[in-house]
Amino acid sequence: MTDDRFIERLRNDAAALRYEPAPATLTRIRARIQERISRPTVAQLLAAWFRPLAATLAAVAVAAAIAVASLDTSENGFGDTSVEIVMAGDSYRVGE
Amino acid sequence: MDSDERALIERVQSGDTSAYDALVSHYLRKVVSIAWNIVRNAHDAEDLAQEAFVKAYQSIGRFRSGEPFGPWIYRIVTNLSLDLLKHRRRVRHEEISEQEQAPRRDEAHVAAISGEIAQRIDEALAELPEMQQVVARLNLIEQFEHREIAAMTGISEGTVRSHLSLARTKLKEKLADLYD
Repeated sequence: MTDDRFIERLRNDAAALRYEPAPATLTRIRARIQERISRPTVAQLLAAWFRPLAATLAAVAVAAAIAVASLDTSENGFGDTSVEIVMAGDSYRVGE
Repeated sequence: MDSDERALIERVQSGDTSAYDALVSHYLRKVVSIAWNIVRNAHDAEDLAQEAFVKAYQSIGRFRSGEPFGPWIYRIVTNLSLDLLKHRRRVRHEEISEQEQAPRRDEAHVAAISGEIAQRIDEALAELPEMQQVVARLNLIEQFEHREIAAMTGISEGTVRSHLSLARTKLKEKLADLYD
């Protein structure tokens, strides 16, 4: 028998050795794959934890910055609404 | 690659896990069969197929658009299966070789072999050296071409041809009574 003929027949007969998993097995593997790829990764879990924490910290920081700024404003006298008038060497304060 | 597959891959890349199930469903049977033909154990083959698809999913972002998915997933499962063979070899080395290790076969393996001729071929293949056996099984049973086997296993096409040529000679000797 020639080599080509031998290989051709061998291939035909060897096709019976192909592994055919049962449909239930295939369904089980697909379910396991879906379960694993849908599961959040460690990075996603950490992000889910840290995102609200970071948002809270940012809100606190903004509130603190606004509070400090308004405190500074009142200490610098910008809140004073009186007007000083100088007339003939004398000064008069109006409004407070 | 057909446009359906390209569309599925793009959907997976944008985070659609249900699109991945369609890809898995299309390739799973072949992927399990490749793994089984290398590791010769149904349970391991199923685990390897699962692992290969999860690994492919995790790096789908790096998958080049327009490339077919098949060769990629076949390469991943082949690499994982060859790694398992290497691991088994290492474990076997570490074991005390007083008892001869039984070949890793299972009931599914026996059930898969229908007919006396197929059984004889399987036994003849099992007697080949490891890499010759892997290459011969991928070529004869899974019907992959030399070029595809080279891409899957990471060995050169010339080496694939050489393994196949040696395997063919040995198989012809062992199965002479069947094919004369």
